[in-house]
Amino acid sequence: MPQPTLLKRAIAELIGTFVLVFLGTGSVVTSVVFFGGVDSAGLLLIGLSFGFAVMIMIYAFGHISGTHINPAVSIALWATGRFPSKDLVAYVAAQLIGAVAASLVIVAIVGTRAVDAGLGHTMPGDGVSYWQAIAIEAVTTFFLVLVIWGAAVDKRAAGGFAGLAIGLVVAADIIVTGPIAGASMNPARTFGPLLTETFWGTTSGWEKFPIYIIGPIVGGLIAAFAYDYVSGIKSAGDKDES
Amino acid sequence: MQCYVCAQSGKETEALGICIVCGMGLCKDHAIREDVDLWEGGYPFPSKKAKKKLPRILCAECAEVLT
Ligand SMILES: [Zn+2]
Ligand SMILES: [Zn+2]
Repeated sequence: MPQPTLLKRAIAELIGTFVLVFLGTGSVVTSVVFFGGVDSAGLLLIGLSFGFAVMIMIYAFGHISGTHINPAVSIALWATGRFPSKDLVAYVAAQLIGAVAASLVIVAIVGTRAVDAGLGHTMPGDGVSYWQAIAIEAVTTFFLVLVIWGAAVDKRAAGGFAGLAIGLVVAADIIVTGPIAGASMNPARTFGPLLTETFWGTTSGWEKFPIYIIGPIVGGLIAAFAYDYVSGIKSAGDKDES
Repeated sequence: MQCYVCAQSGKETEALGICIVCGMGLCKDHAIREDVDLWEGGYPFPSKKAKKKLPRILCAECAEVLT
């Protein structure tokens, strides 16, 4: 068999997204439940938790499924002709299921106080408008997808360092912009806590959900096309125009 | 070069290959071919096993240690 079947790769995406949401949003839940809230030091740990989770799953499953664990990444690969449409549907479905499963397991382990703590959901901060929230999600996802393209899609990249670089850009995005609108960069990461909160009667987050769909997808697409243009990786015979 | 294994039992046989690990000369009977799988692609794409494999010649001792 030349590569794992779509089902097996989708399972790898499900597990990868589970780990991301469990460790990432789990760090927010434990900060609030056990340490009484998130201060700037807590934000650093939350950023690192998300970054570590992305990094370890890239190293664990990168060669199996490609470890997108983020619909915005799968869509950017699809839009630039690198990922087939039928795989896209299966990957995004697996990512959403994995994210919801992670939030449910957090509630099962920590109890309903995890729901009271917000489950690590993403929400625009005080004084941040809907459009500003979309903009910051687009900007942070732009950085993320730019690094994925530069460190992994482009075969000129230094081998073996992609996971580290991508984990660190996720951490930096969250540490700097987490207070603005949650620094989701990932519709699945927002969907997991959101649907799980709904099971316990909190539905107010759904009106904000488009922020975390539009922002990451738009930012990811801009980064993918920008990197392809600047690097010339899509046109084999890139000529010097000077 | 002659086959090291044959030479040990007093035979003189021309070597056709060399063990890539220890460098011993090997005849047709004593050379062990253990081809290596090649994988293409990788993050952020699934790796695919390439159709072609990389040839690799080993002696019996190294083949036993490595496999
Ligand atoms: Zn021999
Ligand atoms: Zn040998």
